[in-house]
Amino acid sequence: MCGITALQLRDPGLRPRLGALMAAMMAQVAERGPDSAGITIYPEIAVLKGVGHPAVLATEWRLHEISGTQAVAHTRMATESAITAAHCHPFVVGDGLSLVHNGSFANHATIRRELLARGVAFDSDNDSEVAARFLAYRLDSGDDLEKALRLLCERFDGFYTLAVQTPDAFAVVRDVIACKPAIIAETPGWVAMASEYRALAVLPGIEAARVYEPEPEEVYLWTST
Amino acid sequence: MDIDLSTTTVRTANATLRALPPGATARLTNPAGRHNLAVGLTEEITVEIDGTAGYYVGGLSKNATVLVHGTTGWGAGENLMSGLIRVDGDASQSLAASAHGGTIVVRGDASLRAGISLKGATVLVAGNVGDHCGFMAQAGTILVGGDAGRGLGDSLYEAVIYVAGRIKDLGADARVEELAESDVELVARLAKQHGFDHIDPENVTRVASARQLYHWGTP
Repeated sequence: MCGITALQLRDPGLRPRLGALMAAMMAQVAERGPDSAGITIYPEIAVLKGVGHPAVLATEWRLHEISGTQAVAHTRMATESAITAAHCHPFVVGDGLSLVHNGSFANHATIRRELLARGVAFDSDNDSEVAARFLAYRLDSGDDLEKALRLLCERFDGFYTLAVQTPDAFAVVRDVIACKPAIIAETPGWVAMASEYRALAVLPGIEAARVYEPEPEEVYLWTST
Repeated sequence: MDIDLSTTTVRTANATLRALPPGATARLTNPAGRHNLAVGLTEEITVEIDGTAGYYVGGLSKNATVLVHGTTGWGAGENLMSGLIRVDGDASQSLAASAHGGTIVVRGDASLRAGISLKGATVLVAGNVGDHCGFMAQAGTILVGGDAGRGLGDSLYEAVIYVAGRIKDLGADARVEELAESDVELVARLAKQHGFDHIDPENVTRVASARQLYHWGTP
């Protein structure tokens, strides 16, 4: 299962509340991933990961006190590797690229071998890290994030909803069958994505937001302001 | 009766609804995308939901009328037996999955796999439907007032799909068939009944099974 929440703030006035908003969103998808959680907060690229209930972790991290411009978080129900902090998402690689994943990749071992042959190093045996390393490798090769995500769709088999952030962008993409849920909401003050609407319902101004589901294999990308 | 979901658990709310007598009405406020609202109802009651419902709203119910004044998450009306579910906004994936009977009406759009494995219910979507609408639908009727996505009617059995707009492409074993007078009458009746005035019953596309993937009754 697993839960994803991500938020990019367009209204600078909301930045002091970024951590509090993310904590509230994560609590709403805690049932989707109760064994561990993690979050990356920009612009400092602060990465927090831990084993345990997401709501407890958010309190331990004092997440509500943290400000920032955007963040991406994950609540994990482990399927492909051990329940440890090292296997928690987000996987943060390259020049500050953070990736969270709901789903499972079928051909991650093959792609891992191809990347290893090209000199890419890995920190874990997690399938989602392969996707993060693939994207970082493509960015290093000169592709932009949108192209790198399109190549990922061509290359990876399996089920996935991915939320990706870099220091200057936020992107969402799903597999061709779109078996894993994703909802996007946008207002003039923010753009957010979550596995379930109830995580978006805690955001200010949700009543007036444009809410929609991302289409299969469409790359949705927003630039940071 | 009003039930405020910001102060009442879904379990308590559903137990309260199930205890209502036939003819009763209830309103659920502050749903905030909560799952499993108004599921497993058995009596002829009317439930109105003010806002966004989560997964499986109205599922597993019979006889009841569930009116959602907002959008819904996955599986709205899943395994419905009879009665009516009406969604004023959009519906997420797997609308009316495996619904045996009753009517599910969406006034907005429906996402992927609407009517998947349908088993006899009637599904009406005023707007567009996503990919694989009617996948493996065994019985029942799907009427789409807008456009249909990829793989429409893939592996369809005996259900019939009518589409007023464009069809991106058909799924395996689905084919376009000529409209009969009975089709036009059915579409006209459903459109009138549910206020789908934008549908011209004589200009819908009928999609049914080519019957090449299954062989019932053959030795």
